Amino acid sequence: MKTLRILYHMARADFLERTRSYGFLLMLALVMWIGYLSASGQFRMRVPPDHIGIINSAWVGATMTVTVSFLLGWVGFYIVKGSVSRDYTTGVGQIMATTPLSRPLYMLGKWLSNFAILGITIFILMLEGLVMNLVFGSEGLNLWALVAPLLVISLPCMGLIAAFAVLFESVSWLRGGLGNIIYFFAFLFALISTSALTTVGTPGFKINPYSDFTGWQIIGDSVSHAAHAAYPDVTGGFAFSITNLSATKYFHWSGVQWNADILLSRLFFLLVAIGIVLLASLFFDRFNPSRLRLIRKRKGSFTDNADPFPGSGPLSTVPEAPIAQASIQVERRLTPLNNAQARFRFDALFIAELKLLLKGQRWWWYGIAIGLVFAQAFNSLEVSRILLIISWVWPILILSGLGCRESRFDTRQIVFSAPRPLLHQLPAAWLSALVVLALLGSGALLRFILAGATVSILGWITGALFIPSLALAFGTLTGSSKAFEVLYVLWMYLLTQNVPMFDFAGLTPQSPLYIYAPLALLLLALAVFARRRQLRSA
Amino acid sequence: MKLSISHLSKQYRRDFWGLRDFDLELGPGVIGLLGPNGAGKSTLMRMLATITRPTEGTILWDGVDILKSPDTLRSVLGYLPQDFGVYPNLTALEFLEYMAAIKGLDARSARRRIDELLVVVNLVNAAKRPLSGYSGGMKQRVGIAQALLNDPLLLIVDEPTVGLDPEERVRFRNLLSDLSGERIILLSTHIVSDVEATATEIVVINHGRKIKYAAPEKLLGLLEGKVWQWVIPSTELTALKQKHIISATVRREDGLQVRVISEAPPSADALPIAPSLEDVYLQLVSENGKKQ
Repeated sequence: MKTLRILYHMARADFLERTRSYGFLLMLALVMWIGYLSASGQFRMRVPPDHIGIINSAWVGATMTVTVSFLLGWVGFYIVKGSVSRDYTTGVGQIMATTPLSRPLYMLGKWLSNFAILGITIFILMLEGLVMNLVFGSEGLNLWALVAPLLVISLPCMGLIAAFAVLFESVSWLRGGLGNIIYFFAFLFALISTSALTTVGTPGFKINPYSDFTGWQIIGDSVSHAAHAAYPDVTGGFAFSITNLSATKYFHWSGVQWNADILLSRLFFLLVAIGIVLLASLFFDRFNPSRLRLIRKRKGSFTDNADPFPGSGPLSTVPEAPIAQASIQVERRLTPLNNAQARFRFDALFIAELKLLLKGQRWWWYGIAIGLVFAQAFNSLEVSRILLIISWVWPILILSGLGCRESRFDTRQIVFSAPRPLLHQLPAAWLSALVVLALLGSGALLRFILAGATVSILGWITGALFIPSLALAFGTLTGSSKAFEVLYVLWMYLLTQNVPMFDFAGLTPQSPLYIYAPLALLLLALAVFARRRQLRSA
Repeated sequence: MKLSISHLSKQYRRDFWGLRDFDLELGPGVIGLLGPNGAGKSTLMRMLATITRPTEGTILWDGVDILKSPDTLRSVLGYLPQDFGVYPNLTALEFLEYMAAIKGLDARSARRRIDELLVVVNLVNAAKRPLSGYSGGMKQRVGIAQALLNDPLLLIVDEPTVGLDPEERVRFRNLLSDLSGERIILLSTHIVSDVEATATEIVVINHGRKIKYAAPEKLLGLLEGKVWQWVIPSTELTALKQKHIISATVRREDGLQVRVISEAPPSADALPIAPSLEDVYLQLVSENGKKQ
């Protein structure tokens, strides 16, 4: 009983803390938008090439479920990740560490809170689905058909995502930006490898609900069979897309036939989620600085005395600098400065920003960066373009600090009380990022110039202007590096898939290059606006 | 050089004002800002440091409205916030170089100033270590150094001695005394001994309002002949507390030596003693608390 009470209060406090932030409101807006897109048929399930179900309760519920598994499975991780980190940065964790709270219990509390946040999104989608069903649906409301897939499929999936968020936060090297990037690709890989989109519904295919964490196989197989029943020429397969269909053929689908195997498999995923949480508790250092210090010492990236909790004076083992003289008088007088010595120089600030941006990178980071630059210069144009994308993704963890570094390290009051922070510091930070990107892409630029590839040169310039603007805008607007990290990886992934809309680098013939230069300016204006707001409320 | 604050107010919620109708005229010297936790000291300091915008009122620096033209003040401002962070991957030297660039110091002057400041804050030996490894006290000293980088005409230091050991604390007080002269230093603290040593004038603030602004001597004069000391049995302490403000107690072999603030002698054994600033502060805050 006592354990349950602890769990409840831990999850409750964490949940309340998160729901009282602007980020939560943004998440709600995102969820409502997702719900609208799926219920209105803009996100659509189909059986290739162009068979879709009549919009009824079962169809709306299943479309929402597939959308949730895909989008919230991917993005939800980033939404809920951060509660353990917050306990590190606020110092609350150190207080918790002095209580009898066990590691598994702490981790379970965090998982429950994550799960509750994601669970709320499901609940909102159910309500939205109800309304949308009444607006867009062609049949009467069937409440169970609408909510069952969300309850049976989405909830356990979200439980799993919530558990992965806890796991990533408990492993020190997965806690930051690297973990965000790894999850991005890991989820993509897991989704593709478990959804069996091309084979689902084909003769001889048997769903494996125990690998199907997103539930796409379960829904896809049922939908595909319904399409086959209506149109015998349908050979199976299942797709989820936002593409327009040319000649749509409709069929009636009354929902998944739930059986014990499916229900048990969903329960299995919930148990797996709890298992992951318990596993996470093994990695969790329980806010013990010595464990973290040991890891960093092994990595050699910090001094032996490095304090893993910046700001936690009492925990530090660094000896105070010895007092030079027995006397505690001020040993040296300060020379007065005159006005001429205090004249602002942009170049000095730019160099300082550049140092700040690059400081802390290891030798191998520079080694790989130099290797990429050379590889860009000495490869075919096609390969050079791909290498340019990789080179521009390489500094993602540096770029993601733009605009939010001051919040992250709590230097706002110091930095913002300096003269003209908007006119001096912000442009210097932007320019330093642009220079880093230019250097990292210099090999490709040289290659494009030598080949006379005008569009690629223009794309290069647009990209070098656009990326730092995007980073700065997201950093200042959100005060966190997470949003940019997620968006940027997604964006660059779509760029490698040659999606024209996202092509700011002129890689595809249909690239809307002309949009991105003004968009960069717009993003800069947004960054200035957001920073101005920060200046007034630091 | 003059800093004029008039009718300054900051409203945080509909029913809560962090600062209310605050007037003050400051000239060169060390001004100690005393007040209990939550009195509004940091709110006032953040507004003076152009970080937070007031809800009402004006702040003039040599006649220039800093709400309209904050950069006029920022170029001559040094500010040490109560809570602040540093970039953990930078060394103290690099962090100060960065801050010097932001404050607009040229490279040579910055270098010389940083060298001097590192000596002054006693961080020469640790200057090239990453800040992630610094203790709270060392970080505080980096904060003090950054506040002094541009040789500020207005130096605002909010609880500057938090985290400093006793020796560093004395060193900082001496530094403030050295710096005073042709500049305004506003020192906020709830530790009376910090201002006792350095302040030329003291502002006492409570519940967001100024309750006294005077030179320390004048403040001490308020309690002349009203502070008493004598020894009581420990058992009488509770009863005494209900009648008078007790500013100090010292346990002795024969009982408790108490220091009491009272208009009239509180006991036949009580002897009048010289008041301290702590006595004055406690009296003012207590009186103000009763009025609220």
